[in-house]
Amino acid sequence: MNRQRNLSPTLRSIAPIFAILLAFALAACSPGDTDQTAADQSVDKAAETTEITLYSGQHESLAKALADGFERDTGIQVRLRAGKDGALANQIIEEGQRSRADVFITEEPGPMGDLARRGLLTPVPEDILAKSAQRFVPAGGSWLPWAARSRVFYFNPELIDEADLPESILDLTRPEWKGRFAYAPSGAFRSTTAYLINTIGADATLDWLKGIRENGINEQKNGKVRDSVEAGQHEFGLSNHYYWYIMTRNSDHPEDIVSRVHFLNNEDAGALMLASGAGVLASSSKQTEAMQFLDWLVAAEGGQKVVAESSPQFPVNSNVDSVYDLPAINTLTFPEFDQAELDNVDEASDLLKQAGII
Amino acid sequence: MTEAPTTGPASSDATSSALLGHPPGTGARRWRARRRSAPKLLVIPAALVALAALAPAAYLLLRQGFNLELLLRELNTPSTWPLIGNTVALLVGVCLLTGLLGVGLAVLIARTSLPLARLWTVLFTLPLGVPTFVGSYAWVAFSYQYFPGSRLIFGLGGAVVIMSLTLFPYVFLPTLTALRRLDPAQEEASRSLGQGPAAAFLRVTLPQLRYAIATGLLINALHVLAEFGAVEMLNYQTLTTGIVQRVTILGEPESARALAVVLALGAVAVLFIDRLVRGRPRPVRTGQGSPRPPMRWRLGWTTPLWLALSAAITAAALAVPLWITASGLISNLGGQGTAVDWPMLRSATLNTVQWAGWAALVATLCALPITLLAVRFPGRLSSLIERSVWVAHALPGVIMALALVYISVQWLFPLYQTAALLVIGYVVMYLPLAVGTQQVGVAQASIQLDEMSRALGKGPLSTFGRITVPLSLPAIGVGALLVGLDAGKELTTTLLLHPTGEHSLATRLWTTTEGEVLDFAAAAPYGLTLLIIGAIPALLLARATLKN
Repeated sequence: MNRQRNLSPTLRSIAPIFAILLAFALAACSPGDTDQTAADQSVDKAAETTEITLYSGQHESLAKALADGFERDTGIQVRLRAGKDGALANQIIEEGQRSRADVFITEEPGPMGDLARRGLLTPVPEDILAKSAQRFVPAGGSWLPWAARSRVFYFNPELIDEADLPESILDLTRPEWKGRFAYAPSGAFRSTTAYLINTIGADATLDWLKGIRENGINEQKNGKVRDSVEAGQHEFGLSNHYYWYIMTRNSDHPEDIVSRVHFLNNEDAGALMLASGAGVLASSSKQTEAMQFLDWLVAAEGGQKVVAESSPQFPVNSNVDSVYDLPAINTLTFPEFDQAELDNVDEASDLLKQAGII
Repeated sequence: MTEAPTTGPASSDATSSALLGHPPGTGARRWRARRRSAPKLLVIPAALVALAALAPAAYLLLRQGFNLELLLRELNTPSTWPLIGNTVALLVGVCLLTGLLGVGLAVLIARTSLPLARLWTVLFTLPLGVPTFVGSYAWVAFSYQYFPGSRLIFGLGGAVVIMSLTLFPYVFLPTLTALRRLDPAQEEASRSLGQGPAAAFLRVTLPQLRYAIATGLLINALHVLAEFGAVEMLNYQTLTTGIVQRVTILGEPESARALAVVLALGAVAVLFIDRLVRGRPRPVRTGQGSPRPPMRWRLGWTTPLWLALSAAITAAALAVPLWITASGLISNLGGQGTAVDWPMLRSATLNTVQWAGWAALVATLCALPITLLAVRFPGRLSSLIERSVWVAHALPGVIMALALVYISVQWLFPLYQTAALLVIGYVVMYLPLAVGTQQVGVAQASIQLDEMSRALGKGPLSTFGRITVPLSLPAIGVGALLVGLDAGKELTTTLLLHPTGEHSLATRLWTTTEGEVLDFAAAAPYGLTLLIIGAIPALLLARATLKN
C-alpha cells in the first residue's frame, strides 16, 4: 500500500472535522487575543509600569479592595491571586525560589510562621512593624500583623441566655454541653489548637479535641456554624466574630436576625485574637515595592481604612475605627501571647487528625 | 446467543448513537477473531495520552516525601478508616439512587404511555448543567430559609439524594438511548413463551441495558470519589473532604497525597468491579432492517401519579437551584449586593467558554486514538491503556492542581499559571467522558466499511478520516459536549491553576463567598449565566438523544 500517495487525501478528509472542532474552540476566543498574546502583553506592561503579585488567603472581596486601594494610592499595579491560606502557602513552598508572589497576606498567623521558619520571608523593617499594634507583632518580626479576628461564640437567645454560656471553651467537654453547640475545623480552629498545645500541653489538647468531637456538631465551615445557630439548630457555636457581621451586612432584613455574637472577654482560649499576616517573599525581585505595600497596609489612610470599610476584621491601627458595629479592640480582654508561637501548626494538624476532626 | 452478522445500515446506526449507550458490538468481536496487532501509529499516541493521564497518579507516588511508612501512618490515623467507610457508603448510595432514577426514568419515558415524553427527556437532562456546589449550596440555603429546624438534608442521606439529583442524567441518557435502540423481538419472544411483562423486561431487556447502565454508574462512582464542595456543605466527611482540608486548612500536602493514594486505589477497585458487573458486551440487534418501536405499558389511571413524580424530581433537581438563584437576583436588583459588573461578567463568561471549549477540543483529539485502540484492537494492552485514563476522574481537583503545579514548576515553568495548563488539567480530568462516549460510536461504525475502504486501497489514516470518524461523529460530538460541560463548571482546580487575574464564572461565583456560603444576591449574575451556559450543551445532549 502506498501511504505516501494517501497522505494528502487523508489530510483533506480529516480537515473538515478538525475545522469544526477548531471553530468551536476559536469561536469562544475573544477576537484576536489568545492566551499567549495576553500573557505577552501583561509581561510588556510589567516592564513599563511597576507591578507586584499578591497572593491572598483572605476572602477575595477584601483582597481586591486592598489591591485597588494600593493601586490608587501609589500607582503600583497589583496582580491578585486569591485562595486559601494553606493551599497558597503550599503553592509558595512548591514554587520555591521561582515564586511568582511578591507579597503574601493570610487570615491566620500559622501559615506565615510556617513560611518564616522555612526562610521564605524577608524580615519586615522595624519602622513598618512599629506602625502595627505591638501586641500582635511576632517575635523576630518576619511578618506584619495588619488586621485581627477574635474567636467568639455565636448564640441563639431563643435557646440559651447569654449569661448561661460557658466561660471557657475547655468546659465544653463536660457532659452537660453534649449536643448543644457547633464548631468548624477552620484555620482559626487550628490556631486555637496550636495555642492550647502551647498552654495546656499536647495530651490535654488531644483530650479536649476528642471531647469537642464527642459533644459538638461539626458544621465543617464557620459560615454554617453561623447559619445553623441562626436557624435554631444549635444553642451556640464556636466561630470567628466577623462572619456574623458579614451576615448582617448581606441580609435583606438585618433587624430579623436572631442570633448574637458573644465575646468571651477573658483570658480563655475561646477569646483568642488572631492576627492576619502579611509578608514579603525572600525570592521577590521587587523588595522595595513589596515593602511599600506592607507599609501602606498598616497606614491609617491606606490599608487600615480599607480594612475598616470593607471587612469586619479589627484594624490594627488604633486610630482607625471600623464602620461595622464592633466593640473597640482596647475594651476587649483576650489572652496575651506571641503570635509567632502559633507556628507549631504541624503539631496542631496532627492532633486534629488524631482526634478525628479532620 | 448466536453470533450475528453486523448488518444494520451503519450510517444510521452511528447517527443515532447518541450517548455511550451501546456495547462495542459484533464488529469488534469479528475483528478480535482475526487478531491483528494494533498499528504503531495508534499505539504510540494512545500510550502517550495514557501516560499523561496517569501523571497525576504517578505524582502521588513519586513525589518526594511519599513512602509506604507515610501511607501506613495515615491509615493508622484514627480518622482515616471512618473516612473510608463514609466514602464507600456515599458511593454505594449514589450508585443505587442514580441507577434507580436513571433507569426508572428512562423506562418511564421509553416504555410507558407517559405524556410529554420529549419534554421530560429535556428536563431530566438539564441537571447536568447545574454545578454540584451550586446545587448543594442552594439546597442548604433553601433548607435554612424554609425549614430552619430541619437537619434532613445533612449527613449521608442528604448527600446521597442531593448528589444523585445532579448525577442521575449520566445513567438516564445512555439507558434511554439503549432502550430506544433495542430490538423488541427478544422481549416479545419471551412474552410469547409465557413470561409476564415485568418478568420479560427484567430477564430479557434489562440485561441488555447492562453496558449502558454500567458506563453511567462508573462515571458517577468516580465522580463521588472526587467530589468535595457538595459533600462538605452537607456535613458529610469523605476521603476527599479529608484530602482537601489537609491541603487548604492544615497545609499538609504530604498527608493529603498519602490519602489520595488510598483514593486512587479505590478508583482502581471501582474500575475492576465495573469490569465484573459490565460483563461481556452483547449484540444489540439481531435482525435485519430497523427495529419496530417497542410495546409501551399503559399507565392508565396512575398517569397523574407518574407525572407528579417526574415533576417532583425535576423540581428538586432544577427548581430549587433556580429558585434560590432567581430570588438572589431579585434581591440583587432590589439594591442588595453591588450592581452587575458587566465587563467582569463578560470576561468571566468568555474565559469559561474558551477554556471549556479548548478542553473539549483537546480531550476529543486525545481520546480518539485510545478509543480506536480499545474498540478495534481489543487486547490486554489496549484495555490497560483505556482503563488508565479513568483513574484521574476519581482524584479530587485539589490533587490534580497540586500535581500540575508541581510538574509545571519543575519542568514546564513557562506553562505555569497559564490557561494552557488549566486546559491540560481539564483534559486529564474529563478525558474518560470523551473516551467512554466515543467508544460507542466507533463500535457502531461498521468495521466492514473500514475493511472495504482498505480493500479498495485506502491507507489506515485515510480510512480513519473518511470512514470511521464521519460515522462516529455524533458520538464524538456528545463526548466533546460532556467534557465541555464539566470543564465549564469546574471550580477547585480552576481556583488553583487559573492565570493570575483571570476568572471563570465558577471562580467568580466563589469570590462572593466572603460569608463562607454563597451570597446568592452578589453571585446571581454569575450563577444565572453559568446555569444558562450549562443548559445549552445539556439541551444539545437531550436533542441528540431524542434524534433517534
